[in-house]
Amino acid sequence: MSESGINHKFAFYLGCIAPNRYPGVESASIKAMKKLGVELVPLKGASCCPAPGAFGSIDQSVFYAMAARNLVLAEQMKMDIALVCNGCYKSIWEVNHKLKHNKDLRDAVNEVLKEVDMEYKGTINVYHTAELLYNDKFIGVDKIRDSITNPLTGARIAVHYGCHLTKPHKDREFEKEVMLNTEHPVWMEELVAALGATPVEYRNKMQCCGAGGGVRGYDIVHALDITNEKLINLKEEKVDALTDICPFCQLQFDRGQIEIQEKFGVSYGLPVLHFAELLGLAQGMSPQDLGLDLHAISCEPFLKKVL
Amino acid sequence: MARTKGYPEALEKKLHEQRFFREDSNPEFSKKVKTLSRTIPHMCYQCGTCTGSCPSAPRSTYRIRKFMRRVVLGLENEALTDPDLWLCTTCYSCSDRCPRDILPTDVIMTMRNLAFQRDIIPVNFLKTVTAIYASGHGVPNNDVNRAARERLGLTRDPPTTHMYPEYMPAIRKIIDHYKLKANADRIIKEREG
Amino acid sequence: MAEKKSTTKKTESKKDTKKVAPVKQEVKKQAAAPAAKPKAEEAPAKSPIDNLAKAEDARIGVFICHCGTNIAGSMDIEAVQEAAKTFPHVAYVDNYKYMCSMPGQTVIHKAIKDHKLTGVVVAACTPRLHEPTFRTATKDGGLNPFRFEMANIRDQNSWVHMHDREGSTDKAKDAIRIAVAKAALLQDLHPKAVPVEKAAMVVGAGVAGMQAALDLAAAGIKTYLIEKDMSIGGRMSQLDKTFPTLDCSQCILTPKMVDVGRSPNIELMTWSEVHEVEGYIGNFDVTIRKKARGVMTPKEAEAKGIVGGGCNGCGDCEGVCPVIKPNEFEIGMKPRKAIYVNHPQVVPLIYTIDFTSCVKCGLCVTACGPEKRAIDLEMKDEFVKVKVGTAILATGYDIFPIENKQEWGYKRYENVISSLEFERLICASGPTGGHLVRPSDGETPKRVGFVLCAGSRDNTGTGKPYCSRFCCMYSLKHAHQIIEKIPGCVPYIFYMDIRSFGKMYEEFYYRIQDEGAKFIRGRVANIIEDKATKNLHVMADDTLLDRPIDMEVDMVVLAAAIQPAADTNRTRKLFGVSCSSDGWLLEAHPKLNPCGTTTAGVFLAGVCQGPKDIPDTVASAEGAASAASIPIHMGEVELEPYFASCIPEKCAGCGMCVNLCPYSALSLVEKDGRTVMQVTEAKCKGCGTCGGFCPGGAIWMNHFTTPQIVAQIDAFLLGGEQ
Repeated sequence: MSESGINHKFAFYLGCIAPNRYPGVESASIKAMKKLGVELVPLKGASCCPAPGAFGSIDQSVFYAMAARNLVLAEQMKMDIALVCNGCYKSIWEVNHKLKHNKDLRDAVNEVLKEVDMEYKGTINVYHTAELLYNDKFIGVDKIRDSITNPLTGARIAVHYGCHLTKPHKDREFEKEVMLNTEHPVWMEELVAALGATPVEYRNKMQCCGAGGGVRGYDIVHALDITNEKLINLKEEKVDALTDICPFCQLQFDRGQIEIQEKFGVSYGLPVLHFAELLGLAQGMSPQDLGLDLHAISCEPFLKKVL
Repeated sequence: MARTKGYPEALEKKLHEQRFFREDSNPEFSKKVKTLSRTIPHMCYQCGTCTGSCPSAPRSTYRIRKFMRRVVLGLENEALTDPDLWLCTTCYSCSDRCPRDILPTDVIMTMRNLAFQRDIIPVNFLKTVTAIYASGHGVPNNDVNRAARERLGLTRDPPTTHMYPEYMPAIRKIIDHYKLKANADRIIKEREG
Repeated sequence: MAEKKSTTKKTESKKDTKKVAPVKQEVKKQAAAPAAKPKAEEAPAKSPIDNLAKAEDARIGVFICHCGTNIAGSMDIEAVQEAAKTFPHVAYVDNYKYMCSMPGQTVIHKAIKDHKLTGVVVAACTPRLHEPTFRTATKDGGLNPFRFEMANIRDQNSWVHMHDREGSTDKAKDAIRIAVAKAALLQDLHPKAVPVEKAAMVVGAGVAGMQAALDLAAAGIKTYLIEKDMSIGGRMSQLDKTFPTLDCSQCILTPKMVDVGRSPNIELMTWSEVHEVEGYIGNFDVTIRKKARGVMTPKEAEAKGIVGGGCNGCGDCEGVCPVIKPNEFEIGMKPRKAIYVNHPQVVPLIYTIDFTSCVKCGLCVTACGPEKRAIDLEMKDEFVKVKVGTAILATGYDIFPIENKQEWGYKRYENVISSLEFERLICASGPTGGHLVRPSDGETPKRVGFVLCAGSRDNTGTGKPYCSRFCCMYSLKHAHQIIEKIPGCVPYIFYMDIRSFGKMYEEFYYRIQDEGAKFIRGRVANIIEDKATKNLHVMADDTLLDRPIDMEVDMVVLAAAIQPAADTNRTRKLFGVSCSSDGWLLEAHPKLNPCGTTTAGVFLAGVCQGPKDIPDTVASAEGAASAASIPIHMGEVELEPYFASCIPEKCAGCGMCVNLCPYSALSLVEKDGRTVMQVTEAKCKGCGTCGGFCPGGAIWMNHFTTPQIVAQIDAFLLGGEQ
């Protein structure tokens, strides 16, 4: 343990939506994780992961090469990657994993990277911050609970796990085995409870937000109908907020509610917060510092309850 | 190919035989999908667990089970030209539950790749490519967000390719290696003029 | 047969008496230079090491089988035959369409006589299939049957190299050259006969074990029936009705249970486990652990001098016991006491104390009274030793822990139950008196979903890859039962295939469909509970309509996969029985020896071998009983003479081999003032562990001797250059 209280350093891979639409996720992650002994160092020159739905659908080879470039940047820093988005996790973690285990793939990717004077070596690991928060090897639920200055007491919060962090579970490798449960996981609920809030179960919790695989761009009404099904299930439980660990899901739930209002004439007014934002709030960051005003759906009703 | 009945064209089309003609299938397609997807689509026993798990199925005609069937039978044209191919949200629920341990999602992704080789692809997918080619990001920064970032104590542009555009040439080189940008531009131009 | 037997026996005894230690010099010579010509033998039958065949005198006949087109279709038989003619020691070569046929065998024994052959090589299928056939043919030709060697040119050649004619032809030549090299050095061997104890053991007293024990007993064989539970009947006693006849399971089982209890030839040991097994076919010494049940049977009481005492099953003890626990027999849906019986019809009707929950308050002892004095709270486990000639494993199955397939919510949603729970709920003697109710609110369900293949036919690693084989049929039966008992209740059966393969099964399927069961062809993807009503949404794909469905039902029954019973692995290891990768016990041959195992004298009955319905289970039990009675009725068994022998002159008596032997066949003895190893031939399986290890080269593996194996390797390495 270093004197500064920093136990772990990671190259912070931002992706697109977090820095460019929900910058609070970025700032909250950096500040909150620092309090918990984890320093997130900027990964300079990173690009889109690239979007697994869009890019993966077009050409897997480019998808691998583009993701590998981001991995090499971290390899050059000699740091493991931490990231805040399930979609990015799918690209960055999965490509890293496959390249490490498949020489043919690795050779093919390195053939292309050679043109830009890079070589993928397979020397680092990739983590989602949610995984770092949950795994007591890095942080753990107890440490989070101890770091809370503004417990979110009384707030009923539902969790949206999203898909690409844990699915397909047969291809994933988590140190915490409960994270491999994709039918009825409760580890995120443990994190929510650590913030002092009441985690709420709802029907078909593990259903997709509807945005992935390029469907949001291809058929927005179709995507929103899936989102709406989740919102109906959430409304039944009268939750104060929905928390997620994926800015793309967050975009779909947050902006999606406006679009659902426009297209279907139904409104929910359900605040949607990334877990990093929730954690920031509970650690005493102000809603302004978290940029919660940038959310499409006002977080005010929820904030009134917890502040 | 299916035999023709010698009817006038309009009638031939109306009374087109829907039966499965062996000549219509391409066994190479099945093999190709198996190799590229790195899973075992030929082992599908059509139980429907995938479609039962699928969030897209109840609100569309998209049936992942049918796509798996097409792979088994080598029905290449039918699979690649079906617009439902693009309705998979890649949630991987089917892959998690498939009792035959297949990854149907990866089979869909592979078929999308093969469709793209025939220029079959929705334009929105290509626009992500052009966006990344331009700035390195699929969802780029904007002025409202720049101001907000500043307020939050962050740099106006994130320390990605946005702040360090000197990394862009390498990205473009990689994309150009696969001629992806050129193809995307061509297809977008064909569709949108 | 009897005549043959006695001949062998005579030869054997002759050998035994004449057996002397090999002459040191000779042994050395043999071991070092296999091809060297040994001294001419004086006596025809000395030590096995003495009568080693002389390669140079060998005249080997090679017989190549076409096996129809199985072999001939993938190689050039003519070329193989021509090559075989050039191999050393080969005196005669022939080929035939089916060597195993009567004419084929005649070719062999005629050639032995006509060409004065000393050894026979048949290039055909596998020894597993036809070694006995060709040994007989060799014997009929006047040679010792162990002068036969097989070259496998089918399973290991033509079948796997079907599309490489040239390659398989070359490989066949190699295989034959190797076999000939060994055949030239084969010795006369004589099987050893051992007496068989006239008693048998059956492990597990479910319907399979009971049937096997009853058959053995009826054949006049003393049978020890060992059951780990407190009463007999197994899984079948938990079932309500049986398909397709709809007999009450208990009604047809009880007479058998009573018969088992009454049979003078059956010694029933419940609440007991096999603890240790030693010995071999004909002579198994089995130690049984009689777990302390805390209650004495009348017999046990009498042995302790309490005349007229012991448990009479009155149940007074149960009445006063203050401890309440869930009853495992009712899958926890009914309470029991710490002193209890599984259900009212148990055999034997003897109470048992669950010492893990008993508080030893002594109330039961008082209630039992001073006359019976059946209860002994300080009872300890006892070990009993018995000797049996053969044993049958009938250890049955458990239900796969279906909660591991989380998508169906078992143990998470109250109204999702397993099929075995359904059996107890629908059974008149069950926890609800036969009223099927929802566990959440006790209401009668009106729509019941049945999930077939719940954990079966599952290659994910969580479930079981095999078909559990009776779930389709009992689910049809369940559908019938709810239609019959609950007017207006509709069963929805979610299936992939309905496997109604047995006698009258398809007819039963027809009947249930006619009665109103709804069949939906689609495997259930997941189940979602309505929190308020506790109703269940069954999510699936109606693959025939090509439409995803979300069906709301009141209750779901999971037709859970089955797996080997918990203790199977321990028990099978005691008896040296193998299992396949899925855990089911492995038969000697799936078609031709389905009841036997690779351990002589140990047989399999019922589901422990693999999923079976009741008719198949009983049939398999009768088969096992029949097979297990044969050695007992024969009175003695012949053992393959592949055992190890010790060359005392070379043995340093280090004893390393004794510790290595997996069959406890070796021991150290004093011989001529030296400590040397001795083989108990009946126990030796000829595995070669000792022979391979022995630092002094003092162990001789009959039929797999070092000179023979070296000759085979030479023949392969030197190839056609000779």
